[in-house]
Amino acid sequence: MRFTLNKRARGMAVTAAAVASVAALVGCSATAADDGATDGDVSGKITIWTWNAPGDGLEAAVPAFQKLYPDVEVDVQDVGNPAIWEKITTGMAAGGQGLPDVLNIGIDYMGNYVEQFPGELVDLREFGADSLEPEFPSGAWKSGSGADGAVYGIPYEVNATGFFYRSDIFEEAGIDIDSIETWDQLIDAGVIIKEKTGVPLYNQDKAATEADSAGLWQLQTALQDSFYFDESGDITMNGDAGVTSLELIKKANDLGIVGDVQGSWDNLLAQLRGEKPTAIMPAGGWMAGVMENEAPEMAGNWGVRLPPSVEPGGITAAVNGGTYLSIPTASKNQKTAWEFVNFALGTLEGQKLVYEGGGMFPGYKPMLESEGFAAPSEYFDGQSPNAIFIAELEQDTPVLNYTSDYARALKAYTDAQTRVLLSGADPQQALDEAADQVVQQTGRKLAD
Amino acid sequence: MNVLSSTAHASAGPTAEAAPFAAPPRPPRRRRRSSIGHPRITPYLFLLPTIVLFLGFKLYPYLSAFWTSLTSNIGGVITFVGLDNYLRLLEDPLFYKALGNTALILVVQVPLMLGLGIVLSVAFNSLLLKGRAFFRMAFFVPIVMGLVAYGILFSALFDSSAGIVNELLGYVGIGPIPWLVDPFWAKISIVLAMTWHYTGQNAIIYLAQLQSIPGELYEAAQVDGANGWQRFVNITLSGLRPALLLTVVLSTIGTLQLFDEPYVLTNGGPDNATLTVGMYLYQNGFKYFDFGYASAIGYALTVIIAVVSLIQFRLFRERAPKPISPKKSMSPKEKTR
Repeated sequence: MRFTLNKRARGMAVTAAAVASVAALVGCSATAADDGATDGDVSGKITIWTWNAPGDGLEAAVPAFQKLYPDVEVDVQDVGNPAIWEKITTGMAAGGQGLPDVLNIGIDYMGNYVEQFPGELVDLREFGADSLEPEFPSGAWKSGSGADGAVYGIPYEVNATGFFYRSDIFEEAGIDIDSIETWDQLIDAGVIIKEKTGVPLYNQDKAATEADSAGLWQLQTALQDSFYFDESGDITMNGDAGVTSLELIKKANDLGIVGDVQGSWDNLLAQLRGEKPTAIMPAGGWMAGVMENEAPEMAGNWGVRLPPSVEPGGITAAVNGGTYLSIPTASKNQKTAWEFVNFALGTLEGQKLVYEGGGMFPGYKPMLESEGFAAPSEYFDGQSPNAIFIAELEQDTPVLNYTSDYARALKAYTDAQTRVLLSGADPQQALDEAADQVVQQTGRKLAD
Repeated sequence: MNVLSSTAHASAGPTAEAAPFAAPPRPPRRRRRSSIGHPRITPYLFLLPTIVLFLGFKLYPYLSAFWTSLTSNIGGVITFVGLDNYLRLLEDPLFYKALGNTALILVVQVPLMLGLGIVLSVAFNSLLLKGRAFFRMAFFVPIVMGLVAYGILFSALFDSSAGIVNELLGYVGIGPIPWLVDPFWAKISIVLAMTWHYTGQNAIIYLAQLQSIPGELYEAAQVDGANGWQRFVNITLSGLRPALLLTVVLSTIGTLQLFDEPYVLTNGGPDNATLTVGMYLYQNGFKYFDFGYASAIGYALTVIIAVVSLIQFRLFRERAPKPISPKKSMSPKEKTR
């Protein structure tokens, strides 16, 4: 998950606005005027809620869209992530009051919104969205659809895990990154790197007071074909896979090769630029684009490969989230909103513009197969991040069942990790406590 | 102002002097007559905006939240579940943790802040202090500061690696303190931030009260041979009693509802070390979409606040010694609060 530059400021401003709008009585809160556009016309103004880089991508598609529909005005708003989730929640809890025409929704929130606020998102089959289904990876498509096949979101980003590393640092330490096959070997290498270069293997927000800080555990657990929940929604976070991951995290931390960097967008950029150096940076595929745009001076210093497996010979691919574009039923300009979504994500022309503008890794197959998409990148020293991501998406990656209780599980895990990293708690015990807490809060049961 | 005081004067003068005459009944008669031309609902019309706002923005949310606290979102359907949310609350370890944190901050922060407030107010009131207006202003200004600016300011101050506080402590050889990232120090940070934010406000309330204590009392005490400390305890503190009660109750309520500081500084962490009841309510409502449970937390908090405030009112009233002479002149003020 990404965080904007001034996440706190935005979060607070948004919360204040949210509180104010909740307090306003239903019916007297102001809604944006829609220039009288009706369901039938493609005209008027549409507003999109998104955040920094995905917003840049959508913005890039606007001029071409306006050539098709000159009367339409598109307002792409960078609401900030994670502030956007609270803002959407508030709008949905108020029956759609104040929501814009298009929402950019994370895969981890999709199921929650659909389950908790039924009828708030348009079933895009109304506009024939089901015809796009074969054009997207089936897993990504499914997570944006209801059990009955209703289409609530068109995949915008489909992220495989990029395992990025600083080739210059590995070189300086005399370690061949290609020889590393497992996380255990990587941790051994980390000790040498720390010794020879002083650079930590990776940085973590150990206190997790800024962000959730669970990305690494989720990756390592996914590499063992597990997650917080199994496919029937039972809790698996304290299973063998989860405990193994947290033990790896503890081991690295105890060896003193993990830096403590708070999870903000600023700090992320500082790591990319080498100001707060890190030897590796496992992240969603979107990071490749962010690196090129935000740290151009580091060209040639970053490399990318498949993540090492946890067990020797284990899985080396994992999906790292994704996002969707959805239309709330409260939008008064759904037809126009749909035409924009369809143009940006359902046409090769739109996809290319969006990709060039924001660098989000797309799920649209014609785009993935298009000429030059998987071409070697100069920035990555002749490697092709996109070819690696495409190969990962083709592997049989585990389906991650986020359920409607992902946020609770994420929080419970993050607290457990903090106990392990700051007070040396036992991983098994910390995870058992976290799982019990989720049971108490949600009434779900522990998987056998 | 002028009009008010002159009418007060005019009515006080004749009634006091000319009591045996028919003067006193006159003003009521006049008032009654004048109301004939105006409908009796006039005062209610003037009150109407307030009543409407109260109904819409206070009473309605109260009732709506109470109803919500009896419901749960089951598969997208808001379902009446009776007291389930409250029963769940009783068995929720995180709720108790939040209560414990809140109580700890309360017990440490409120006395610290009010003590400082008293000291400051005495200083503000002192004739020895040059530039009093400036100091009063300077200490009061933090309360005006918005949440966002406040959060950014203290995050910058307390940042463990690049924070200004640690930088300064480094010069005197105290070595980096993990302000916001250690469970113990995170609580301290919250206490410090709150103290900075609210002490000035309390000092101003005390100052107002101090200025109503007549100077003759101090002179009289001095003549009787009371030393400075005795004068402070017996005159200043006694005189401050109504303001003390007010600030203790308000600060306690404010701290029990504590949300801003943990929200902007620590996000309730690390590992829930600064999770307050307010934060927990917010998490359940806005992070987990569990509005029923969040409302139940809100109502539980309301009950706790009511009980605590009641106890405080009782304690202060029973402990109050026989009012000293200036107390009479203060009692109307006390009533208006």
